Amino acid sequence: MASGDGSQSNAAPELTRRGFLTKGAAAVAGVSAVAAALSPLRHLDPDDVPSIEKFLQAHYKEMITEDKERVLARIRKAVERRHGVTPNVSDPPPLDGVEFVYGLNISRCIGCRKCVHACVQENNQSRAPELQYIRVLEMEKGSIDLETAEHHYDSAQVPNPDKYYMPVQCHQCKEPPCVKVCPVEATWQEPDGITVIDYDWCIGCRYCEAACPYWARRFNFAKSEIPDGALNPDMAYLSNRPRDKGVMEKCTYCLQRTRTGRLPACLEVCPTGSRKFGNVLDPDSEIAYIIKHKRVYVLKEDVGTLPRFFYYFDERGSRYHEPIAPVEQGDAT
Amino acid sequence: MTDDARPATAQRGHLWVPAVLLAIAAVLVFDPVPFSSPVPAATEVPAWATDTTPVRRPTLEPRYAAAGFEYRCSDCHAILPSPVETDRVLTQHTEIELKHGINTRCFNCHHRTNRDAFVDDLGHEIPWNQPQLLCAKCHGPVYRDWQHGAHGRTNGFWDTTRGEQSRRKCIECHDPHQPPFPPMRPAPPPRTLRMGHQGYEKSHGVTDPLQLHVVGGADGASEEEH
Amino acid sequence: MKTYCTFLWDCFRLSFVGDWRYHLWMTVLTTFALVGLYAYAQQLVHGLVTTGMTDQVSWGLYIANFTYLVGLAAAAAMLVIPVYIYRNMHLHDVVIFGELLAVAVILMCLLFVTVDLGRPDRFMHLFWRFNFPMSMLTWDVIALNGYLLLNLHICGYLIYCAYCGRKPSKAFYIPFVFIAIVWAISIHTVTAFLYVGLGGRPFWNSAIIAPRFLASAFAAGPAFIIITLQIVRRFSRHVVSDDALLTLRHIVQVAMIINMFLLACEVFTEFYTDSAHVASAHYLYLGLHGHNALVPWIWTAIAMNLIATGMLLLPASRSLGLLNAACVLSIVGIWIEKGMGLIVPAFVPTPLGELVEYVPTVHEVLVCLGIWAFGLLVYTIFVRVSVPVLAGEVTYAKRFGRPAGA
Repeated sequence: MASGDGSQSNAAPELTRRGFLTKGAAAVAGVSAVAAALSPLRHLDPDDVPSIEKFLQAHYKEMITEDKERVLARIRKAVERRHGVTPNVSDPPPLDGVEFVYGLNISRCIGCRKCVHACVQENNQSRAPELQYIRVLEMEKGSIDLETAEHHYDSAQVPNPDKYYMPVQCHQCKEPPCVKVCPVEATWQEPDGITVIDYDWCIGCRYCEAACPYWARRFNFAKSEIPDGALNPDMAYLSNRPRDKGVMEKCTYCLQRTRTGRLPACLEVCPTGSRKFGNVLDPDSEIAYIIKHKRVYVLKEDVGTLPRFFYYFDERGSRYHEPIAPVEQGDAT
Repeated sequence: MTDDARPATAQRGHLWVPAVLLAIAAVLVFDPVPFSSPVPAATEVPAWATDTTPVRRPTLEPRYAAAGFEYRCSDCHAILPSPVETDRVLTQHTEIELKHGINTRCFNCHHRTNRDAFVDDLGHEIPWNQPQLLCAKCHGPVYRDWQHGAHGRTNGFWDTTRGEQSRRKCIECHDPHQPPFPPMRPAPPPRTLRMGHQGYEKSHGVTDPLQLHVVGGADGASEEEH
Repeated sequence: MKTYCTFLWDCFRLSFVGDWRYHLWMTVLTTFALVGLYAYAQQLVHGLVTTGMTDQVSWGLYIANFTYLVGLAAAAAMLVIPVYIYRNMHLHDVVIFGELLAVAVILMCLLFVTVDLGRPDRFMHLFWRFNFPMSMLTWDVIALNGYLLLNLHICGYLIYCAYCGRKPSKAFYIPFVFIAIVWAISIHTVTAFLYVGLGGRPFWNSAIIAPRFLASAFAAGPAFIIITLQIVRRFSRHVVSDDALLTLRHIVQVAMIINMFLLACEVFTEFYTDSAHVASAHYLYLGLHGHNALVPWIWTAIAMNLIATGMLLLPASRSLGLLNAACVLSIVGIWIEKGMGLIVPAFVPTPLGELVEYVPTVHEVLVCLGIWAFGLLVYTIFVRVSVPVLAGEVTYAKRFGRPAGA
């Protein structure tokens, strides 16, 4: 063991001028090194530094009407400053007696990807880096193994007669794993079945993205870029208002449209009419008819998520893609 | 050992530590590892990719344009008799190429005497603006689906109490003479962040469901390809 | 209170005192930590785009390191259990180093989670709306912070008592020691459940993940402590008996055998069944459709683990040289296997079958190195301070010439 004297002076080093200077130099050097390490922060976008107001903003479900109005006004101002457009920011509530369900006819889908881009335009997704809610999968016939799906097809023409097409987007599950895992309740299911995100509450842990079996959630890895003039000014708090970087976003069945009675953008643009949407609680709705009378399936039923997104097909199914050969004389009889 | 025994001298000897820290500060201030963004420029999305207009816009009226004039079908057909059957080569309407499966006769659909109308199974007239009734003669299940909205385009409002809903009729998507939905160019494929090279063909290793017993699985199939 | 402040002040001063080797080591660590901070500052400016993560592979090196380190923290229990449950006194004097390691490592875990967040500025949202008990992440927040507090209390109390020259009162720490043992197992189980509970990721959705976590943690952790104790022994006056190291060797030995057995179970289930769910495992071990970034890593890891297991089984590994080699092999092997080998393949292919590979970026690696350096820095200070205090060389009485509280 070392001597007692040694360790005592160890605990209380003599205070000499020299020692003081050394300590001062060390402190100054340490502080300047930390400051230098943090120097990249000088490039921080002022928009990314949360204001006091934004910092203290309550969770969506805890906001009272006045809070909401204040927040919507703030968003309006921010969009005006950043995009030079005066937006119509609203917060449409879920409708009573309405539960939204989507149907997609895979016998009819030709894989044209128009839904993908209409969605991007409607929902103000980032163009760079590219962020899309819908993926159209080109599938091998005779299989629904997603691993054989081709995501990046870029042929001169679709449909490829040897394939079929299956678009995938958020399935608005009744048992959403993404909601279950969120540590801060930044995402939840609304009474009309739509799973939404409070973009001002999300902490960006991406646990929901790992939990989703349909790969339906997207993260803003970088600042979203929407070209001038491309911004859709009709926006809602819970859906297509511009998102900050570092938060999740997802398909909301265009709730800014659908909660005011309109059809979602992906459906409106579909040239083939493969996309069907409506209130499943209304027995006369298209979607109720489809579920009752058509052959439907849900993707990955085994994961128990109970999607509100049904794929269905026609009895004559795949013949649809095939050109009809001219009939030889006498074949008709 | 020695480290604790002579702290004062030891400390004086370590002036190089602040010097090193200052050196690090000097290096870090000049951004030694700059970040270069991997974000590619936005993909150019053609305007048609987000255009909601239907692929066909028939007038739903018995009109025919030729030589810069527009006629009602009956304008000509009232005076010009047409042959009883159309197995012969057409002398008029040669631009129409009829590729509708076993439906090879004009008068399966067009009314024999009133050319401004279609014809039903009993020989009665179907008005020109109700083509779905004509198609329903053969395409019963599709017609049933269409009636309930499970087939065909519905646009506008799902909630008809709040706004108008439009339904497309058969020939607003399908050319009656060549009914399969026309192929089209797909809109640009995804180009997400750090996606890497994504070849179009990744199908090696995929088992062809129609050839299971022939090539016996993945390896055989891919070898055959190359 | 005044005594406690003096204690903290003495600890603070003590951490700056040492010979040139100590200063060099601390300076090197500080440099790495600063460079990591610099890289993180860039991440704050540009967003997580500075990392190699994508929507396809949404967790990477950060969460991989986090997972590994949770195991390392849990391993402190492996020092405590023999002492307090089996009364194996070889380890009695070194238990505190395990607990201090747990504190430093949990700090690293918390840092790794923080740097992985897209919006660290909204950290307080956890206090406002805490999705407990639904979200396993909230369980993990409780487990990790609770474990941190438990170990801080135990170590802090023991060291503070030594400083005051008092005999620690058993009522003040023994109950916490036992809670900490259970808690140590829970932190790793909860962290495993974080992944296991996701039905959409078949690679994780397997009951064997949690036991494998524990087995690998109880191998890598004590292995790490074996090395650390020898370093402590080499550079301070603290006595660490060879018996203590050999007791730890037994633990690593058994844990490694169980770990390799569970690996075999996992590999068999995946590949013999050969269902569609094998895709991720296929990507990890054999590559998938020409994508095979992880294949060399995982086979390196398996080779290291196998060799380490073999070495540990030999009686020759009672010699420290061989034991150290086996420990290093298992630490590195398990780091690869538990980190990158567990997190990344679950994302490849994506649930929709897309194949996007993950490659960490320079900035991401710098942040990771920075956090490791910071953790080692903290641990070095802990050891630097606790050794003389526990040896009774630095006490209140010696400082002021009268006992504390007098």
